[in-house]
Amino acid sequence: MVELVPSLLRQELNRLAAEGQRIDGRGHFDVRDVHLEVDCLYNAEGSAKVVWGDTIIYAGVKFEIRTPWPDRPAQGSLMCGAELRPVAHRKYEPGPPSPESIELGRVVDRGIRESGCIDMGELCIVPGEKVWGVMIDIHVLSDGGNIFDAAGLAAIAALRTAVVPAERFDVGEDHTLKVNGTPIMASFKRAGGRFVYDPREEEELGGDERIHITLGDEGHLHSLQKGLKGVFTPEEFAEILAVAEQKCSELRKMVAEKEGN
Amino acid sequence: MGGYGDVKLLREDGKRLDGRAIDEMRPVTIEAGVLPAADGSAMVTHGLNVAVAAVYGPMEAHPRKIQRQDRAVIDVRYNMAPFSTGDRIRPGFNRRSREISKVTAESLESVVLVERYPRSKIRVEIEILAAEAGTRCAGITAASVALADAGIPMRDMIVGVASGKIEDTVVLDLDKAEDNYGQADLPVGILPNTGEIAFLQMDGDLSVEEYNLAMEYNHKAAKEIHEVMVDALKRRYEGGEA
Repeated sequence: MVELVPSLLRQELNRLAAEGQRIDGRGHFDVRDVHLEVDCLYNAEGSAKVVWGDTIIYAGVKFEIRTPWPDRPAQGSLMCGAELRPVAHRKYEPGPPSPESIELGRVVDRGIRESGCIDMGELCIVPGEKVWGVMIDIHVLSDGGNIFDAAGLAAIAALRTAVVPAERFDVGEDHTLKVNGTPIMASFKRAGGRFVYDPREEEELGGDERIHITLGDEGHLHSLQKGLKGVFTPEEFAEILAVAEQKCSELRKMVAEKEGN
Repeated sequence: MGGYGDVKLLREDGKRLDGRAIDEMRPVTIEAGVLPAADGSAMVTHGLNVAVAAVYGPMEAHPRKIQRQDRAVIDVRYNMAPFSTGDRIRPGFNRRSREISKVTAESLESVVLVERYPRSKIRVEIEILAAEAGTRCAGITAASVALADAGIPMRDMIVGVASGKIEDTVVLDLDKAEDNYGQADLPVGILPNTGEIAFLQMDGDLSVEEYNLAMEYNHKAAKEIHEVMVDALKRRYEGGEA
């Protein structure tokens, strides 16, 4: 079955693509409905819930105090991890983190880290002794396709609404975490021979390679990842990059609106 | 139990720190069918606890050695999200979550008509997104509603509920402070239609009289929570959806 279904799907996706159609009637660069909620988890210092089509993802931010790395005595640290737990889909098995969940966490991590939105120097409490470790955990509850973009959105929204729990650790007053920017990811999948934005489950199962692009506020690239088998042309990349710019700024506005509330 | 002893948990007026009466439960809300990818699902908020359960199956039992020729096996995973508690939890199983998963599975096997599905497996995934004492009970409640939402036949649902003892007083539904500094905790899973008990744990110190009173509170609360469970399922299906 595992072999058969994708090959049938692949035929169907090819047929639809030839007619300029998509399996759910969307245009090839259209997005599904996206809902973002922030500050929704009681024990997390920052949190967000993203419902993106049939995909549901939570992200939570926690802080810890740690000793700095010897070569960076005045810098804190940031880590973003993802768990693709068996709750999210029948295809996920219990066990140690899969290569897929590690890839997801690392691609989201790079986009946030490399955008420079967190100043690691600001996370220093006492140089050489105490720094903040910021941890973003991505928890996928329902995988209906395009978990990368939903995870990226949840992670940055959780981070941007996080409060540093300084009082609990007896190192000053609680304050909002300073985040200088809103890096956003846009993901494309080759389905039916051409790239579509925001792939749903069937397109992921019956498609080829995927490309994840994270853009900062100025439209600069901060993280790129190509996953799965397949090759693409420079022209194809130029086209999806232009689409990514537009999609990312729309989502960035959504994050800003939620923060305002 | 924490057993610190000197922390005041009851106020001068006999109410608890959060203003509840001694036999008063925290508010419970339930929604069925919250996860599109799952065959059945539910989200339970019990006070500040948030538990989500997903059900997959019945499906082929893998690996084969776990198969039972005459019934389905129920595979439960109870997991706390890293951000669900005050200090972050390292991802992955620990002794506590393994034990809770085991006894929860055995409870659910007591109510699901497992003999209808020989050689198969029903996967129940319980994820705790926010923990504030009482997560195993919220998880059992969520799992029951998710199983019903998946259309899996059961003799009854199981309601997870707990009572305990603080300052030598039996109280219903311990919150975080009461759990940390109280004297006993008695979480149970009750079949609301028969009053039978499918899940039972306890730690601390209770006299037989105190146990009986705690159980009385638990049975009373189970009836209240059961109404919320049934209401969640009705809301999910009466509209003609799914």
